[in-house]
Amino acid sequence: MEKGDLIKKLEETSLPEIEIPSHKKKLKEVLLNKYFREKRSWEIFNILRKVVPVGAVAIILIVLILNNLISPKYTLAQAKEIAMRDPQIKELIERGAIVRDVKILNNKGYVLIQPSARAEMGAEIEIEEIKTDLKIGEEFLGALAEVDLKEKRVSRIEKVTPQFFPLAEGEEEKVKEIAKDNPEIQTIVPKEAEIKEIIPVPYFQLKLIKEENSIKVVPEQREEKRARIIYEFDKNQWEGEIDLIEEKVKEVKFLGETENNATFQE
Amino acid sequence: MDLKKEKELIKKAKRDPEVFGRLYDEHYPKIFGYILKRVANLEIAQDITSETFFKALKNLWRFRWRNISLSSWLYRIASNEIANFFRKNKNRVIPLEKTSEPISTHNPLIEIIEAQEKLKRHKDFLALQEKISQLPLKYQEVICLKFFEKKKIKEIAEILGRKEGTIKSLLHRGLKKLRELCH
Repeated sequence: MEKGDLIKKLEETSLPEIEIPSHKKKLKEVLLNKYFREKRSWEIFNILRKVVPVGAVAIILIVLILNNLISPKYTLAQAKEIAMRDPQIKELIERGAIVRDVKILNNKGYVLIQPSARAEMGAEIEIEEIKTDLKIGEEFLGALAEVDLKEKRVSRIEKVTPQFFPLAEGEEEKVKEIAKDNPEIQTIVPKEAEIKEIIPVPYFQLKLIKEENSIKVVPEQREEKRARIIYEFDKNQWEGEIDLIEEKVKEVKFLGETENNATFQE
Repeated sequence: MDLKKEKELIKKAKRDPEVFGRLYDEHYPKIFGYILKRVANLEIAQDITSETFFKALKNLWRFRWRNISLSSWLYRIASNEIANFFRKNKNRVIPLEKTSEPISTHNPLIEIIEAQEKLKRHKDFLALQEKISQLPLKYQEVICLKFFEKKKIKEIAEILGRKEGTIKSLLHRGLKKLRELCH
């Protein structure tokens, strides 16, 4: 069959209107009976369509606020409170330490306790778990308490390991240079005293960060750059603290007798 | 009916069931006729027509005027319902002879017999429809709308929600396939 013939055939072939009046009538009755029910359903749906997004947004907001603002703060506060109840932490606080930072990880709280100022707490800290075996001149930089939030108790306390910046080439010479003509050092440190060592001063202000599913203690800021120059003469030690950024002597003090002597005295 | 008047009527039909009834009366014959031409079976045509108007009522309040006539909208629902029917009954062959059997218990027998007799008299149509029904659905609907419903390409595009170019191409390919079947 040619295309034209097929089109002609299609155009000429028709089916007259065939009706089943009873079907038309019955269907109309059913439709009219359903009319108000469908209209009501649409109205309810329409109201819900307007209300549900608003409600959903409100619920999401509440959940977000609870999860991100209220709940973490509550948990942080809870961790801090549990840590503060611990007798060892309590002792540190009574001696001038403060809670510097709190973080939560895997249902555990991590509370960083630090002296409020450098050298505030001295070297006489005797806390069993911390085991602060501090040497002369060594500074107590703080402790990290691990809080079990489920059991509501401090599960572990450890001493914060000091973090240093490495002294760059020429910086030792720079320290000696700054210390050399400083009048305060000249007054306090005997002329005969020799430089025993020059060591970088650990970062003091610390904070906690979450890293690779663990909590790490890191310096709060890295702009600070200080070094200690230790003098020794006749089994006595002195220390000068040099600010390498400001190129100033910040502090000079007598440290006491050397470690050997201190041990002997004990 | 012009589009402006129809727009007003639809607006009224959303509030007044009587107006909806008037629209139904006006469109029922065309829709039933179209479905019957597509399925060539009175019982199935009645069922699909019912489904089409139930869907239309359900979606009446959702109907937004986008310069598409109510008629095109109803044809679209009907086409979708026919496609659904064929999809559900993919492996079920409906022989044309079945149209001669008494079919509905809901309708007076005499009406059914009369309608079947009328249908049977159009052997040319039934033979051609049988060939068309062997084509994929996309070709069936364009051929049926173009030749049996005498719709313009623009109207078919409106009904099927496709571009006019697509309709022309479907029509061309559909006719080619139908010619092969008619050989």
